[in-house]
Amino acid sequence: MLVAGIDIGSITTEALLFDKEKGIVGYDILQTGADSKKTAEMALEKVLAYPGKNISDVSYIIATGCGRKRASFAKQAITEITCIARGVNHLFPEARTIIDIGGQDTKVIKVDGKGRVIEFEMNDKCAAGTGRFIEVMAKALNVELDRIGDSSLKHKKEVTISSICTVFAESEVISLVSEGEELEDILYGIHKAIADRTMGLISRIGGAEKEVVMTGGVAKNIGVVKALEAALNMPLKIHVEPQIVGALGAAMIALEKTA
Amino acid sequence: MTGSQNSKGLEKADRYYKQYGERAKELKKEGRKIIGYMSALTPVEILTAAGVAPIRLKGFMDEAVTKGDAYMESIICPFVRSAFDAAVKGRFGFMDGMVLPHQCDSIDRTNEVWSSNLNLPYWHFLNVPHVTGGPSIEFMKEILRVFIGTLEKFLGTKITDTAIAQAIKAHNENRRLMRELYILRKQNPPLISGVEMMKVLVAAMSLPVDESSALIKSVTEEVKKRPAPADGNRKRIMIIGDQIDHIAIPEAIENAGAWLVVDDLSIGVKVYWPEVDETTDPLQGIAERYLRKLKIPTTFVGEGDTYEENLEARFGHLKQRIAEFKVDGAILFIYKYCDPYGFEVPAVKSYIESGGTPVLYLEDEYSTSTLARVKTRIEAFLEMIA
Repeated sequence: MLVAGIDIGSITTEALLFDKEKGIVGYDILQTGADSKKTAEMALEKVLAYPGKNISDVSYIIATGCGRKRASFAKQAITEITCIARGVNHLFPEARTIIDIGGQDTKVIKVDGKGRVIEFEMNDKCAAGTGRFIEVMAKALNVELDRIGDSSLKHKKEVTISSICTVFAESEVISLVSEGEELEDILYGIHKAIADRTMGLISRIGGAEKEVVMTGGVAKNIGVVKALEAALNMPLKIHVEPQIVGALGAAMIALEKTA
Repeated sequence: MTGSQNSKGLEKADRYYKQYGERAKELKKEGRKIIGYMSALTPVEILTAAGVAPIRLKGFMDEAVTKGDAYMESIICPFVRSAFDAAVKGRFGFMDGMVLPHQCDSIDRTNEVWSSNLNLPYWHFLNVPHVTGGPSIEFMKEILRVFIGTLEKFLGTKITDTAIAQAIKAHNENRRLMRELYILRKQNPPLISGVEMMKVLVAAMSLPVDESSALIKSVTEEVKKRPAPADGNRKRIMIIGDQIDHIAIPEAIENAGAWLVVDDLSIGVKVYWPEVDETTDPLQGIAERYLRKLKIPTTFVGEGDTYEENLEARFGHLKQRIAEFKVDGAILFIYKYCDPYGFEVPAVKSYIESGGTPVLYLEDEYSTSTLARVKTRIEAFLEMIA
């Protein structure tokens, strides 16, 4: 039996097809763009095309993410907080704390052994310290987004970015450049700032408990991962494709609904 | 939920909610003086005794602050800014005067901004103390006398103790009637939704006390008669905050699949539960209610021996409401830059959680345009407690 989860995020949309016996059949990641409804439909079509299936072959579809209510083909909309928790539980049953940094949100979630949410915190409405923040900084420094993490690991000294507001931090970064600071050191400062902000959210849910799992697009940035591991003094567990965990969780809940 | 043939009370509440101040305008035409006020701390009994119609000012969550920002910086409480913006735009053009009580900094320190921009015939800053011991009660009675004096001068009449005693009775009756309506929410499903209740609460504060009582009575009768909603399988939510006066918030909760069954808001339970004792000196009873019985964060200093005792004194009523209304989860909704409520967040959150009730803490602007993120959190919270 097939079920699907679709995660319509602020920057990317993920569709995932799950077979009760075989597990993950396929997934696809698209840029959400301006028409999230159309993107969601396209993502689902693409993921169905690979095993040559139709939407009628899928028993249950759950949508999640900030655009969850835009997917008219889904039977149910569930928040990304609940879905990420379930997805992580499937991949890492020992997980008790989840850090999810996506395009415009940072979430920290405390979960039990069944993947149920015990407590959660989200950043307030500004996108400080999220994926968008990193994109803006990469642009300001003229570094390719996928190189930003590796470069920061080569830093030689600690540069502090005190403001986490995207706009203020950008001007702070620019003045660091004009002061002659090394690019690697500035990049390190940016990642450290994100880690510090995330730690603030973690303290609100009573601190991090082992194991700590990181999800969301920013988990692909080794600079943020290392900065978080240093701040937590713990290793982070990360799935090979951290962006699909929300969609996976949606599919897991969909599977439960058909039982 | 509406559509009943004799939906007089709810329809009226809906109209007064949507056209805020409509009745005040009519009363003014009839020659009645209208005094606007802010905050739960304004002793409405005195205004009623003076023969004026007290109208509590509200903000407008779905309107952008435009004119007001020319006189108030964005560091000020977004609710106060919204209400002030509405005032300078002329939405409360019916006012003959205003009373601003000493509550939070956002109100205290903007007193002159209000008075100089609105330039009304009557203005009074009521210097309510912030501590609640014996000397403060004496002080409160003294400032009530000063307040009465300014009203007498403005109106050219005498405000007698008998008139005050009568006003106390009328407002106590009004509070009792509102509590009767609240009781209909104890059932599962509640007989009146949180959205409808918000309209009633807002309409009630825009009317003279007798008309407010009549409205509440007719709503209660109507709600009792109509069939109960079928959907009882929903989580029961309580909302805690200061002046939440827009249906967008209860709507966000109820559209996410819960019932809003009770509140601790400064236009709701906070003002309708405590009554004024009918004391020989009526000012004694008024001073005691506003300083000691009103559970708001600006007039409280713990007098217990331990931190736990102070917590009980400050928040004990919340646990009572949670038990009475069978609350499954509480939402703490605090406006940005609200110091008094912000200071209390960790204490109130842990106090409620210690009783086994989960709490969702939300901090937001006073604006419907920022509600999308709030809605996600509310939905996730409901999924969490499901």
